[in-house]
Amino acid sequence: MDFEAVIGLEIHVELNCATKMFCDCPNRPGDAPNTHICPTCLWFPGAVPRLSRQALEKAALLCLGLEAELQPVSAFDQKVYYYPDLPKGYQLSQAHLPLSRGGGIEIPGEDGQTRRLRIHHIHMEEDVAKLVHEMEGRLPISLVDFNRAGAPLVEIVTEPDFRTACEAMEFLKALRTRVRYVGASECSMENGTMRVDANISVRPAGSDRMNTKVEVKNMNSIRHVGDAIAHEIARQSAAVQAGEAVILHTRLWDPDKKATVPMRAKFEGPCVPDPVVPVIALSAEWIADLRGRLPEMPAVRAERFMACYELNGEEAAFLSAEPEVAGYFEALITEGVAPRMAMHWLSTQLMPAVRERETALDACPVTPARLGGLLKMLARDEINAKAAREVLGLLFDEDGSPEAIVRRRGFGQVSDTAALEQLIDTVLAAQPAAVADFRSGQGKAMGFLIGQAMQASGGKANPKVIREMLAKKLAADSIESP
Amino acid sequence: MEELFVHRPAEATASGNGPLHGMKVALQPNCSVAGWPADAGSDALADFKALEDATIAGRLRQAGAVLCGTTRMSEFGFGLHGSRAGEAVRQGAADAELVLDLMGESRLAALRASVFGFKPSYGRLSRLGIIGLIPSMECAGLVTADLEVIAKILDAVAGADEMDFSMPAEPAADPEDGPIDPSRLTIGVIAEALQGLDDDAQAGFRQTLAAIRETGATLLDLSFPEFSLFPLAHQVVGAVEASSCAGRYDSVRYGRRAPGAKNWNEMYLRSRGAAFGPLVKSYLFQGAYFQFERYGAFEAACRIRSRLVARMDRLAAQVDVLALPAVDLAGSGNAASLGDTYARFGATLFANVTGQPALVLPPCPGTGGAGLQLTAARGGDGRLLALGRHLFNGRGGKA
Repeated sequence: MDFEAVIGLEIHVELNCATKMFCDCPNRPGDAPNTHICPTCLWFPGAVPRLSRQALEKAALLCLGLEAELQPVSAFDQKVYYYPDLPKGYQLSQAHLPLSRGGGIEIPGEDGQTRRLRIHHIHMEEDVAKLVHEMEGRLPISLVDFNRAGAPLVEIVTEPDFRTACEAMEFLKALRTRVRYVGASECSMENGTMRVDANISVRPAGSDRMNTKVEVKNMNSIRHVGDAIAHEIARQSAAVQAGEAVILHTRLWDPDKKATVPMRAKFEGPCVPDPVVPVIALSAEWIADLRGRLPEMPAVRAERFMACYELNGEEAAFLSAEPEVAGYFEALITEGVAPRMAMHWLSTQLMPAVRERETALDACPVTPARLGGLLKMLARDEINAKAAREVLGLLFDEDGSPEAIVRRRGFGQVSDTAALEQLIDTVLAAQPAAVADFRSGQGKAMGFLIGQAMQASGGKANPKVIREMLAKKLAADSIESP
Repeated sequence: MEELFVHRPAEATASGNGPLHGMKVALQPNCSVAGWPADAGSDALADFKALEDATIAGRLRQAGAVLCGTTRMSEFGFGLHGSRAGEAVRQGAADAELVLDLMGESRLAALRASVFGFKPSYGRLSRLGIIGLIPSMECAGLVTADLEVIAKILDAVAGADEMDFSMPAEPAADPEDGPIDPSRLTIGVIAEALQGLDDDAQAGFRQTLAAIRETGATLLDLSFPEFSLFPLAHQVVGAVEASSCAGRYDSVRYGRRAPGAKNWNEMYLRSRGAAFGPLVKSYLFQGAYFQFERYGAFEAACRIRSRLVARMDRLAAQVDVLALPAVDLAGSGNAASLGDTYARFGATLFANVTGQPALVLPPCPGTGGAGLQLTAARGGDGRLLALGRHLFNGRGGKA
């Protein structure tokens, strides 16, 4: 029997707000344990939660970035569960009246058609404390770090629109790009600012039944999400094939075993409206104002890049995927660099160099102005490409303009024909065999002769000028020869 | 005789020199004062000491009041079983007491002590630092032998608190506190509010109304057919809220951890199980039942609550003030079952459901123990107190 998977995602994104969601403690979960705590985020008796305006704004901006519809009225509920990472016994979350409904992302489908994957709703909630399990000698001990308790989160709940692991991965990449664009979160699965749970069920291909689902957690990269979904589809298909029933439960992805393992029965009770946090009413003006602060989103930007800079779809998508890259690219254009040259150098030279040095594009010393200066010298034939690559490396380590570095290091390209004349004569005299090859119609001998001339110049000669002069000389000599 | 105060500060002095200078105010251990025990009458919070002042405690001190200690309260202030609310005022040990009012506790404590009891409008006082059980219904109430004291304390402690977003930033405007013309005063009487009173109390209340009519005021009979739904709305909504919210009182980081658990999950669950007393525990069970098994009934109770609030608003808008009986409907004996507890507060809990202010005047002699309870629209606290003063003086200031 052929099976088809039905997959929905629940994605938690930790907002990069300055403070926690309901108090003024710094939102820095990674700091030394229990340094950012107060009666409110410890939920001591008598504490009153105060919703952070910034958390509401960032969450709402994220909703708009995902084309979701902000609700005029939303409210917090108490999601009751007992666990030591939540000693107050309930999590403040929005169950009945979420911040937004609808929304979606278009991804390139495997058949080349775009496919829209829909979002059911997006709600805000507070993060819980972090549990640390250690051994004290032979005694296992468990510690609770409240730095993360009350950190601002949004949860994006999709429709069960996904059919393959690949679609889920494409969706997550596009979602990450958009969330980064609106500046709401770093959105990294590796550092835990994006956490993904996948709900997966299988059914005979072509059926429209919704079967019992299994929730899979604990994936810490987008690739792991893909692996876990693929594994779970195979596991459930085999189970159904063997006549076993799928029961509602939660499984953990084990990246070492490359398998999902059962964790617990899934339990969810109804949420009760929280009687303390005021209901959130968003006015049309507030929403319009927020929409005005929405940056140009990646899909729109990619289209503009294609139209304005004559880039193809793949190039435009690449450049617009990260707001930093897109911004850098446009800054190079503003510096006067030709779009194609900017695209080429950014993708094949600068970004690998940034990665190699483990820095970030917006933090690296090679500013668009400095790289722009270098590329303009290249365009004016004042240096050649090889020298430009070397200067790029130096721009990371040395202060000063690219012009100064070229001058100081003597990378200036020799385009002066008088100076090159003698050099070419010497090369031609030293390589009679190659000259003869060229004359007998073997064009590739030209490349060899250019290489020899470049080497003789110590790499400083302008290869274009060399080629022109060689061509002229060889043609002239061939006419002169009997 | 057991000491009235469960906690007395070593040095009870006022820090400020304001309008409440020298006034002695007794609290319950649910109102946070930095460093004071704040167990709210529950083992779940045993040995918990408040880390900071409740906003209202801080404002009392700044205004010059002397916080003279805490008196015994029922568990989380729910009901009056085991509570000594009202005694400090009756014995003259305090000029006023702050008594948590979840269904009328401050008002019935006042009635018991033959003094004044007042529950302010919901949202009038900051909740920061107040430990309770039913956040949407409870409020710090005032018990005092002097009506002026209520107005003075309200002036000093009420109003917006930037640490409590659940309060309206601008309190609803109090109806103008102008002179009272007795001949133009209309007082509404809700007929259904008299149901459930015994004959003596009914007769006593009618006698009180007759005295009011003699001051020149007009009595207007009003009908509120759904009045009998107040206890139901209170109990279902209150129990669910309490069941969910009481999760915060973990009895692990404070309180008493239950011994003998195999792991920390079990330790948390056992501690919660051991922490709460029988009355609160049965209330929490009831709430959990509605939350998990009859959620639809909870939603229905919420809708009924909205209807009751709307109806009460319409009635309050027709008159200057509404007059209802204030009766302690305690049955015989000291039973503290859920049913008995709710029955006892049948005359007062409406104001916790609606959030409106309510003032209980001490009963006149020979009124069968039925005091006069005045109430107005939410936010009309100042006018209500002024009218209460007028009516009390009108009957010759007799208690």
